[in-house]
Amino acid sequence: MVLQVFDPAMCCETGVCGPEVDPELARVAGDISALKTKGITVERFNLGNAPAPFVETPAVKALLDAKGADVLPVVLADGKVVKEGAYPSQEEFEAWTGIKLKQLDESQSKGVDIKIR
Amino acid sequence: MKQHFVPGTHIQTKYNFFTGKGGTGKTSTAAASALSLADKGYEVLLVSTDPASNLDDLFTLNLNSEPTVIPEQRNLHAVNVEPETAAEAYRERVVGPYRGILPDSAVEQMEEQMSGACTVEIAAFDQFAGWLSDDARDLYDYFIFDTAPTGHTLRLLQLPGAWTEFFAENTTGASCIGPLSGLTEKQQGYEEAFERLKQVEETTMFFVARPAEAPLEEAARSAEELGDLGLTQQVLIVNGVHPLLEQEVKTEDEVSREFKQSQLKALQQKPEVLAHLTQYILHLKQQSVVNPATARELLTPGSGGEKLEMTSVPVSSTALETWVDEVLKAKQQLIFTMGKGGVGKTSTAATIAQLLADRGAPVLLASTDPATHWEDRDASSGTFAVRTIDPEKETEKYRAQVLASMEGELGEEGIAYMKEELASPCTEEIAVFYAFSRLVEQADDYYVVIDTAPTGHTLLLLDAAGSYHRELLEKTGDDQAIRRLLPRLRDPKQTAFLLVTLPEATPVYETERLQKDLIRAGLTPSTWLINQSLSAAVPQDSLLRARAAGEMTWINRAEQVAENVIVRPWQQQ
Repeated sequence: MVLQVFDPAMCCETGVCGPEVDPELARVAGDISALKTKGITVERFNLGNAPAPFVETPAVKALLDAKGADVLPVVLADGKVVKEGAYPSQEEFEAWTGIKLKQLDESQSKGVDIKIR
Repeated sequence: MKQHFVPGTHIQTKYNFFTGKGGTGKTSTAAASALSLADKGYEVLLVSTDPASNLDDLFTLNLNSEPTVIPEQRNLHAVNVEPETAAEAYRERVVGPYRGILPDSAVEQMEEQMSGACTVEIAAFDQFAGWLSDDARDLYDYFIFDTAPTGHTLRLLQLPGAWTEFFAENTTGASCIGPLSGLTEKQQGYEEAFERLKQVEETTMFFVARPAEAPLEEAARSAEELGDLGLTQQVLIVNGVHPLLEQEVKTEDEVSREFKQSQLKALQQKPEVLAHLTQYILHLKQQSVVNPATARELLTPGSGGEKLEMTSVPVSSTALETWVDEVLKAKQQLIFTMGKGGVGKTSTAATIAQLLADRGAPVLLASTDPATHWEDRDASSGTFAVRTIDPEKETEKYRAQVLASMEGELGEEGIAYMKEELASPCTEEIAVFYAFSRLVEQADDYYVVIDTAPTGHTLLLLDAAGSYHRELLEKTGDDQAIRRLLPRLRDPKQTAFLLVTLPEATPVYETERLQKDLIRAGLTPSTWLINQSLSAAVPQDSLLRARAAGEMTWINRAEQVAENVIVRPWQQQ
């Protein structure tokens, strides 16, 4: 499974640099990094600094030509458009990849901090 | 008192950077030094990336990015690159190939993303990095740069993962990489340049300051910041010291006496950091540096030759009091004083607030200068409240807030990721912006006077992001302040901008650029305030009268580009 996320031109991928932090963007960034640790290949392209893939990916290019930049973000799963105009929800990520994201987070963050002297 | 600066003796490294606030005379000092070394028979390259550089006028030449031999100035070569022009070229290199291929809306998005201050900074660094390479080393005996990279630029180039991660996969972590993306092939060159800057036997940083508090503090700040980054070979040059500083002149008038006293006081009380640097001075001259002859004169002790006679300030100049009356009449409840550091925008904001309060208006005065200490005071009538926005604290608060809001939503990894994102240099601008959008809301009840405003770029970003974030805003609905801000700032019926500057070349050029930037963002900056005008103070000292005469060029220029100009007389700070 290869996921490709085509972002609109933005300063950074979480929106911390934007006019406000979009919790959605941060959540997406977190989900993506979690998916990667589970062996899913996720590629992210920002129109602002990597425009080439937008032109070289026919599905994305066609959407842009038809609907303009508002169509972004666009997500492809194994080359097929699965989402446009918005970021996928956690459930959508789970459905496409078969990886449970919620559990993954909890199991990771419930570690106990033991200090050895 | 102190030693006068002599380039032939005091310049001891091959690469020399002159840095300082606008109006301190760094370009003049750099040019004079280059001339002086060339006169001694050395091959010298003078590199300017200062947008306000007047090198072209100085040498009556059109300089560009290719070294030009200066006619009649033996061995002197010069390069002059406007960072905006360099940024434009750089932007075009990245965006150009996609014009006509991607839809216009996408191309516009890319362009706006790359029109920020970061892009200009990087493009400027790009210009001098080439001259610091091994390949260029033997072309000249000395390299003189009239600008130095700021700590911000150097950190931007150093961002964790900015290079390595980006090149490896272009998938995570690298914040604010947008402006850097077109320069990937230059990574190695930048590292080499940075190394060169750190070598004490190769590179010297000359901090040029005026004998006044603000520029000396600025010099101390950059000395510390660049020192922390490993650029430790540092020298201080105080430019514009009155040659008779410590001599009593019996017939002296108050303005002239105070002028000298304030210089003396600033020098005696200069920041501790600067005390450790090698220090030289340059005397105040009757005439500014306008050609090679006046540049050479700058390096000669004394006040220089040719005398100019002072004329008076143009009658068209408005009084600040009149301007405040107009603001009240028009009910412009949001007032910004804007300008570079050291032009007096904070004290101007305080003066305006006081004038408003004196007239019975409820006033909220706010500053983003952490050094400002105002106390709440009651005006004769109405209310006078003060607020300080500390950028560092706001940034800290903002970081904590963001991380707290993410808790439970993100795993450990997500949090780590967010932390790195929040370390980006953009965060501060945004955090301050937040604090300030909350303040602006107060303009419903008060006359809010703020000593800073967001840059045109921030506003455009906000606007561009507007459509993208609208959906989300409607969902959460708690950011009324942000949503209302831009229309309010753009409405000249509600908001007044006062561009604060000084009657000197560089500050005037800088203010022109600021005005353009604001207009681009749809704002209406109609009034300029020129602070510290000697001609308006009418001194008796002959040197100061000559300086006052020199101001007229810049006051006249301001009158041409601004709708309305206010000139305030020089006063002790």
